[in-house]
Amino acid sequence: MTRVRVTGPRQSATAAPGRSPYPREVTEDSDSGRIFIRSLIRSQLRLALVVACGFLIILAVFAVFLVYGPGVAETRIFGIPLDWLVLGVGIYPVIGLSAWLYNRAAARNEARYRDLVEDK
Amino acid sequence: MNPAVGLFAFLAVSLATAVIGFYGLRISRTTGDFYVASRTVPPWWNASAIGGEYLSAASFLGVAGLILLSGTDALWFPVGYTAGYLMLLLFVAAPLRRSGAYTIPDFTEARLDSKLVRRVTSLMVVAVGWLYIVPQLHGAALAIRITTGLPSWVGSTAVVVVVCLTVAAGGMRSITFVQAFQYWLKLTALAVPVVFVLLVLASNGTQPQAPLPVNPTGQGAAGAYQHISLLVALLFGTLGLPHVLVRFYTNPDGQSARRTTLIVLGLLSVFYLFPTLSGALGRMFAPELAQSGQADALVLLLPGKLVGGLAGDLLSALVVAGAFAAFLSTTCGLVVSLSGVISQDLFGGSVRGFRLAAVLAAVVPLGFALMTDTLALAGSVGLVFAFTASTICPLLLLGIWWRGLTDAGAIAGMLTGAFLCGGAMVAGTLMGPGNAPVWLAQPAAWSVPAAFAATVTVSMMTKNRVPASVNRVMSRLHVPERPVATER
Repeated sequence: MTRVRVTGPRQSATAAPGRSPYPREVTEDSDSGRIFIRSLIRSQLRLALVVACGFLIILAVFAVFLVYGPGVAETRIFGIPLDWLVLGVGIYPVIGLSAWLYNRAAARNEARYRDLVEDK
Repeated sequence: MNPAVGLFAFLAVSLATAVIGFYGLRISRTTGDFYVASRTVPPWWNASAIGGEYLSAASFLGVAGLILLSGTDALWFPVGYTAGYLMLLLFVAAPLRRSGAYTIPDFTEARLDSKLVRRVTSLMVVAVGWLYIVPQLHGAALAIRITTGLPSWVGSTAVVVVVCLTVAAGGMRSITFVQAFQYWLKLTALAVPVVFVLLVLASNGTQPQAPLPVNPTGQGAAGAYQHISLLVALLFGTLGLPHVLVRFYTNPDGQSARRTTLIVLGLLSVFYLFPTLSGALGRMFAPELAQSGQADALVLLLPGKLVGGLAGDLLSALVVAGAFAAFLSTTCGLVVSLSGVISQDLFGGSVRGFRLAAVLAAVVPLGFALMTDTLALAGSVGLVFAFTASTICPLLLLGIWWRGLTDAGAIAGMLTGAFLCGGAMVAGTLMGPGNAPVWLAQPAAWSVPAAFAATVTVSMMTKNRVPASVNRVMSRLHVPERPVATER
C-alpha cells in the first residue's frame, strides 16, 4: 500500500465518503425536483425556527418568572433556593427535550421528501 | 496546596497527551484511515470527543469562579454554552455535514464560489482561534501559579510547548479517541472531588460561613441587557467555532450528525452540574477566595481547603489533571484546525508548511497571553463567542438557509461584525474592566444584528453575484442521504 502524507484538510471534498448516490431528481435539475427540494428546505427551516423560538420563549418566561415571580426569592426546595434549581438544573431537560423533538420532526420531513421523490 | 502535587499532575497529563499523540501516528497508516476511520466511530464516542474538545478552561475553571463571584447571574453561562449546541443542531449540524467541507473556509468557497471570500473567512477563523487560545493559556498560567507557586508564564509556555510538539510531530491522529477520553477525564476530575467534599461536609456537619444567595464581593446583579447580550453571544457563537465544526465531519451522514449533537447536549448538561455545585459550595464555605481575587482557582483549591490531608492532596491532583486536560485538549483542537487553515492558505499545504503553521498557530496567542493579564476566564471566553457570533455565524446561517447570499455580502458582513465587535473588545480592554459601559463590555446584542443586516443588505445590492451553482449546492446541503439499509 502506498504511503500518503496527509497534511491538512482536503480542499476538494466533493463527495462525502460512503455517501450513496443522490436521487435522480436532484442531479437532473428537473422542475419537479427543484420544487421538492425547495419545499424540503422551507419545511426544515420552519421547523428549526419554531423550535428555536419556542425554546427562547420558554427561556424568557423562566427569566421573567425568576425576577418578578411572587415569592420566588424566598422559595426553597430541600434548602436550595428555587432560582438556583431552575437555572442550574431545570433548564437542561428543556434543552434536551427541544433537541429530541426537533430530531424526530426533521427526520420525518426528510422521510416525507424521500417518499415523494421515490414515488415518481 | 503541596506544590509537588500540582507539578506531578501537570507532568502526567502532558506526558499522556504527548505519548498518545506520538503513538497515534502508528495506528492509522493510510490516508483512508485518517479520513474515514472516524466513520466507524459510534455516536457515543463522537459525542464524547466533541464534549472533550468543547469543555475548555472557561467551563472547567471559569464557570465555577464566576458563580462564586456573581451567583445566579453566572448560571446563565453554562445554560448558554449548552443551548448553543441546540442552535447548532437546529441550523447547522446536518447541512454542514452534508456539505462535505472540512473547514469553514472550504464551506464558504464551495457555497459562494469565490476565492476572495475564502481568504476573508480564513482570516476570521484564525482570529477566532487565536482569541480562543488566549484564555486557555491564561487558565494554564493561573493553574500553575496557584498549584505549584511557579511564575505564571511557565504554565502557558508549557501548554504551548506540549501542544506544538504533539501537533507538529504529526500526532493527534487518534484525536477522536484522545478527545473522547479527555471528556470523561474532565467529568471525573470535577465530579469526584465535588461529591467527596459534599460527603465530608455532611459527615462533619460543617456550617456554611455565608448564605448562598449573597455575593461575597457585594457585586450587584446584572441587568437584562447583559443577560440578553450574553445569550446572543453564546447561542450564536457556538455554531461558528472552528474546532467544534470540524468534529461534525466524523459522522457518517446528516442524520447521525443530529443524533451525535443530541448526545453532546446530554453530556454537557451532566458536566455543568458540577461547576455549578463547586461554585455554590465555594459561596457557602470558601467565600474569602472571591475577595482575594482567586475566584477562577476555586475548583482547584476547594478539595485542599475543605477536605485537607492526604485525601485533599489526591483530590487536588485529580482536579489539576482535569484542568490541564481541558487546556491541552481545547488548545490542541484549535491548533490543529488553525494550522490546517493557515497551511492551506499560506504555505501551500506541505508537511513542512503544516508544522510551521502549527507553531504559528500556538505561538502568536502565547505572545498575547504573556502580554495581557488574566481576566475572568468565563467572561473572556464569552467575548470570543461574541466575536464568532458577529463574524462567522451570519455567514454560516445565511449560507445554509438563504439562496440570495453573495460573496460580496458575506465579506461585508464579516468585516462589519469584526470591526464592531473587535472595536468594542479593544475599547473595553483599553478602558479597563469595570470602567467600560455595559453596551461596550457586552457587544453581541448589537454587533450580531448589525453583521446580519450588512450581509443581507449587500447581498441584495449585488444580486447578480449569486453563484450559478446555488441550486446544486443547496440541494447537496439539505437532501437526505439515502439510508443504506433501504437501498433498492
